[in-house]
Amino acid sequence: MAVFVTFLLVVSCSQETARKFVFLNTVTYDNLDPHQNFDVATVAIRLNLYDGLYRWLDDAPPHLEPWLATDYEVSEDGLRWTFSLREGSMFHDGTEITAADVVYSFDRILGLQKGAASIIGSLVDAGMVKALDRYRVEFTLKKRSAIFLSIVPEIHVVNSALVRQHENDGDWGSVWLSENEAGSGSYQLDEFDPSIGFSATRFTGHFFGWEPAAHIDKVEFRVVEELNTRVLGLMKGKYHFAGGYFPDFQLQRLANSGTVEILDKEYMRLFLFQIHNQRAPLDNVHVRRALNYAFDYDAYLSTVMKGSADRNVVPIPNNMWGVPADVEGYEFDLEKAQAELDLSGIAIDRPLEIGLISGFSVLEQAAVVLQNGLRKIGIESTINSYTWPVLLEKVRKKETTPDLITMWISAYYVDPHNWIGQMYDPKQSGTYRSASWYVNPEVESLIDKGLTTLDQSARVSIYEDIARIVTEDAASLVVYNARWRGVLSNDIEGMRFCPVGVGQELRWLSWVE
Amino acid sequence: MALLGGILILLLVFLAVAAPLLSTHPEDVWDIHLAERLQAPSWTHFFGTDRMGADLYSRVLYGTRITFFIALIAVSVSLAIGVPIGLLAGYFHNWFSDLLMRVSDIFLAVPQIVLAILIAQTLGPSIPNIILALSITYWPWFTRLVFSETRALQKEVFIEATVAMGASPLRVIFLHILPNISSAIIVRTSIGMGYTILTAATLGFLGVGAPPPTPEWGRMVSESREYLPEAWWYVAAPGMAIFIVVMGFNLLGDGLRDILDPRLRRAPAGEKK
Amino acid sequence: MKLIAIIANRLAWLLPTVAGLIAITFLITHVVPSDPAALAAGDAATEEQIAALRVQLGYDRPLHEQFFSYVSDLARGDLGTSLYTGRDIASDLNHRLKATIELTFVAMLITVLIGIPLGVTSALRRNQPFDHVVRVLTVSGLAIASFWLAMMLQLLFAMSLDWVPLNGRVEGFPPRGGTGYFIIDTITAGRFDQLGSVMAHMVLPVATLAIPATATVVRFVRAGVLEAMQKNFVLYETAMGFPQSVITWKYILRNALISTVTQVGLIFGIMLAGAVVVETVFDWPGIGSYAYNAIVLSDYNAIMAFTIWAGVIFIIVNMLVDVLHAIIDPRA
Repeated sequence: MAVFVTFLLVVSCSQETARKFVFLNTVTYDNLDPHQNFDVATVAIRLNLYDGLYRWLDDAPPHLEPWLATDYEVSEDGLRWTFSLREGSMFHDGTEITAADVVYSFDRILGLQKGAASIIGSLVDAGMVKALDRYRVEFTLKKRSAIFLSIVPEIHVVNSALVRQHENDGDWGSVWLSENEAGSGSYQLDEFDPSIGFSATRFTGHFFGWEPAAHIDKVEFRVVEELNTRVLGLMKGKYHFAGGYFPDFQLQRLANSGTVEILDKEYMRLFLFQIHNQRAPLDNVHVRRALNYAFDYDAYLSTVMKGSADRNVVPIPNNMWGVPADVEGYEFDLEKAQAELDLSGIAIDRPLEIGLISGFSVLEQAAVVLQNGLRKIGIESTINSYTWPVLLEKVRKKETTPDLITMWISAYYVDPHNWIGQMYDPKQSGTYRSASWYVNPEVESLIDKGLTTLDQSARVSIYEDIARIVTEDAASLVVYNARWRGVLSNDIEGMRFCPVGVGQELRWLSWVE
Repeated sequence: MALLGGILILLLVFLAVAAPLLSTHPEDVWDIHLAERLQAPSWTHFFGTDRMGADLYSRVLYGTRITFFIALIAVSVSLAIGVPIGLLAGYFHNWFSDLLMRVSDIFLAVPQIVLAILIAQTLGPSIPNIILALSITYWPWFTRLVFSETRALQKEVFIEATVAMGASPLRVIFLHILPNISSAIIVRTSIGMGYTILTAATLGFLGVGAPPPTPEWGRMVSESREYLPEAWWYVAAPGMAIFIVVMGFNLLGDGLRDILDPRLRRAPAGEKK
Repeated sequence: MKLIAIIANRLAWLLPTVAGLIAITFLITHVVPSDPAALAAGDAATEEQIAALRVQLGYDRPLHEQFFSYVSDLARGDLGTSLYTGRDIASDLNHRLKATIELTFVAMLITVLIGIPLGVTSALRRNQPFDHVVRVLTVSGLAIASFWLAMMLQLLFAMSLDWVPLNGRVEGFPPRGGTGYFIIDTITAGRFDQLGSVMAHMVLPVATLAIPATATVVRFVRAGVLEAMQKNFVLYETAMGFPQSVITWKYILRNALISTVTQVGLIFGIMLAGAVVVETVFDWPGIGSYAYNAIVLSDYNAIMAFTIWAGVIFIIVNMLVDVLHAIIDPRA
C-alpha cells in the first residue's frame, strides 16, 4: 500500500521544468551528417545546424537569399561560377569559414556518393571546384545549367579541419559526423539520440546576426510517430510546432484547444500515381487516359484530404511557374474512361499492381479509391504496400517497377525541373522520381533545352510545352498539390514558411512576450 | 465450459457461412462510399462505418470467414507437420530423434511473431503467405507436445508389451500411441486455433497481413488508430470479434481438457501458451 | 536417461543447433529480393554509385565467402553495421535490450506478485465464487489480442482520462550515461521528476504485457496447487491434523512454485515476443521494435544480427528449461 502511494506521488511529480521549444517530426533523425541525407523529412538538421552559400527563403514566390556567399559571378560561357564568401563568418568552434571549407564540402559530397551527390554530380565533376583565394570559390560546370544556382543551397559547408580530425580509413569522417556536427548554423548541437531526436542551443556568433528580438535559445527536434501523442502534446503545450498530416478530426480538436494555431500555406508537394509507361497494357495512351478518368478526385479531396490539398492537373505544382493555363486535365468520368478503354482495343486480363509506401493511411485510401474506380470499368487491381527502401529498390529496374506507384514529390529546389524534368527524363531512369519509364524524344530534348537555357521566359514556355505533352499523353495520374498545415503554439511568432525547408528554420522564431 | 466454447464456435462458424445473408451491406467488402466516412453506429450501420465509408458490421462479418480460413489451414498444416515429427522423435531414441527436436528448437528459437513477420515481408503480404508463415512457426508446439506425450506413454506397460510382441514401429506409433495421445492433440489444436487467430490478427495489425481492402480484423484495428478517440466503434467492433472468437476456442480447449483427460491438468514443459 | 547424459546430450547439440540457426537465417536474408547496397546508398543514387558501394561493402563476393566472413565476424562479437542507420548493430542492440529488459522485468515482477497469490487462493477456494471469477478473468485475459488491449488501455487511460502518457519511455531526453536502465539512472542522478516520468510511461506497456502473463501464471499455479493438494502425503498430513496453513505453505506452495519456476523461462520468452507488439504500439525503443523496424526496412544486416542473437539466447534458455524440467520431473 505504501509502495503504491509512493508510486502515485512520484508519478505525479513528472513535470518538465525547462522552457524549450519542441518541434515534432514523424520520421527519425538517424544520421546527422548533412552530406548523407537529402530528404525533406530530416531537413531540420541541415537548416539549423549548417549553412550553404545561398538559401531558399519564403514562399509566394520562394527566393534565393545570399547566405554564406555575398554574391556570385558567371563567366560568359556560363560554365564558371565564382562565389564570394562573407568574411568573418564563424563555425561553431570559432574558426573562420573559408573557401577551402567549401571545396572540402563539395569533394566530400561527391566522395560519399550519398544525399545530394547525384544531382550535384550531374552538373559538376569531382575536382572542378577550386578556392581562388581565402574567400572566393570557383565551380566549373560540365555544361551550362539553368538549375545550378537552385541547387547550390544543398551544398552544406562543414568545418573541414574538424571533420578531417575524425577521418578514419578514408571514410570522410562519416561515422563521426553521423552523430556529431561540424557546422556554422544558427543552432549548435547539444544532445542527439536517434530514438528521441536532437536538441540544440542558439549560436550567438552566427554570421547572419540576431536582431534585437526575443529569439529562442533552446530548441529540440523530437520524433513522435504516434498521432494521438502529438495531438495531446500540442494541446497541452508540451510541443510547440508540428507539420505533416493530421486527419480532420484531430485538426478540429487542436483548433478548439486554444493553445495552438493552425497554419495553412500553399505548398509545393505534388501527389500522383506514377504509371509504368513501358509495360503493357499501360504502354497504350488510351489505357492511361482511362486510368486518369477513373479516379474520383473530388470525393477524395473533399472527404479524405478535407481541404488540405488542391487539385493539380499537370505534373508541376500550380504555384510554380511553367504551368500552362490552357490545360484542363482529367476529371472523374467513368463514361469517358470506358470510352478510352474501348478506343484502346485492349482487353485487360491481369490485375494491375498499385504499389504504395507503407505507413501512410492517406496513400492507402487513395489506392483504394483508385482500385474502386478501376473496378467499375472492369479493371482489377491489387494493392501492395512496400517500405520506402524496398520500393526504391524496385524502381531501379523496369522489370521490377510496379504498374502504378503512389508518389509525393516535394520541392528540393524551386524549379519545374524538380518535378517534370526529373520525372520524364530517360537519363534519370532508375531513380524514384522517374519511375514512369516514359520515353519521348520530343520531351527529352525539351527537358535538355530547359536545363541549359538561361533565359527565363524561354524556360517558362519550354516547361509549359512539356506539361502539355505529358498530360495529353497521360504519362502519370496527377492528383493534388498539398497544402501545408502546420500547428504552431500561440506562444510563438515569426515563422517564415518556405516550401523548401517547410518552416523548420527556427532562427526566425521568437517567444511571444 | 466446453459446451459454452463449443456453442460459441458453432455460432461463429454459422456467421461466417451465412455472412452474405446476415450482412446489411455485403458489397462493402469492396465498395467505398466516401461521403459516409467514419459515421457512428446507427440503425443502418450497426457498427458504424470505416474510413472508406464501408459498413463495419458487414466487414466484420466477412472477416469471420477470412479468420477461420487462415486459422483452419494454418493449424491443419502445423498439425500435419508437427505431429508426425513429434511421434518419430518421441518413439526413437537415437541421434535422429535428437536432430528432429533440435530442428524444432531452431524454429522455436526465434520469437514466432518475428519469424512470421520476416516470412510475410519477404514473400509479400497475401493470405497464402500469411498461412505459410503461421504454419512454419507453429508446428514445433505440436512436436514438443507429441514428443513428451509419446515418451511418457512409452513407459506404459501395454506399449512395451506390444513392442515385445514384435509389432513394427509404424504399427505401434499409429495404432497404439497416436490414439492415446489424441486427446492432448485435440486440446492443443483448439488452443492453437485461438493462438493462430491472434497471431494472424497481429500480423494484420502490423501491416504485414492481407492487403486492403481485405476485411481482416487486425488490419481494421490498425486503421482505426488515427481516428481515435472519436471513432471508438472502429476499434471496438473488430477487436471484440477477435476476442469472442479466441475466447470461444480457449473455452472449448479448456473444457475438452477437463472432459477428455484429467491427467492433462499437469502441464508438461512447453504446452501452455 | 540419467541427468548427466541429458545435459551432455544437449550441450553437444548446442553448437550444431546454433550453426543451423545462423545458416538458415543467412539463407533467408540473402534470398530476399532486396539489394543491400542500394538500400545503403539512398534514394537518389545512380547505378554506378550503387555498384561502387556494393564492392565497398563486399556484397559482390560469392555467397559462401560472405557467409564465412560473417561467421568469423560473429565470433569476434561483430554483428555488423546497420544498412539503414549506418550504426554498429551490436551497440544498438545492447542499448535497446536494456529498454526491453527493464520493461519485461517490471512486468514479470508484477505478474509474479499478483499471479502467484491469485493462483494459490483460487485453488484453495476451488469452485467457490472467487475461483469462478478468477477463472473467467484468466480465460478472458488470454483471449485478448495484445495490440487491441494496448489500444483500449491507451484509449481509456491516456486519451480519455489523461492519467498516464500515451507512449514513449520518458519525457524528453533520457538520463545520461549510467546503466541504461532508467529507473536506476534517474535515482542515481537524483532526478526524481524524471523518475516519475519514467514510471508513468511504464504503466500502460507493463499492464499490456502483464495481463496475459498473469492469466497464464494464475492458471499454472492453480493447476499446480490443485495437483499438489491431491498428493497422498498431503491427504495423510491433513488426516493427521496438521493445520491447513502449514500444509499450504510447506508443500503445496513449494510444489506450485517449483512448477512455475520452470515455466518462468518460457513466460519470459513469451513476453519478449509480446514485446514486439507492445513496443511498436507504445513506441518503446526496445529490441522488439528494433526487430520489427529492421524487417520492414529490409535492413538485413540488422535482421540477421537480431535473429541470431535472440535465437542463441532462446536456444540456451530452452535447453536450461528442458534440463531443469528433467531434474524436477524424472518421469519425462
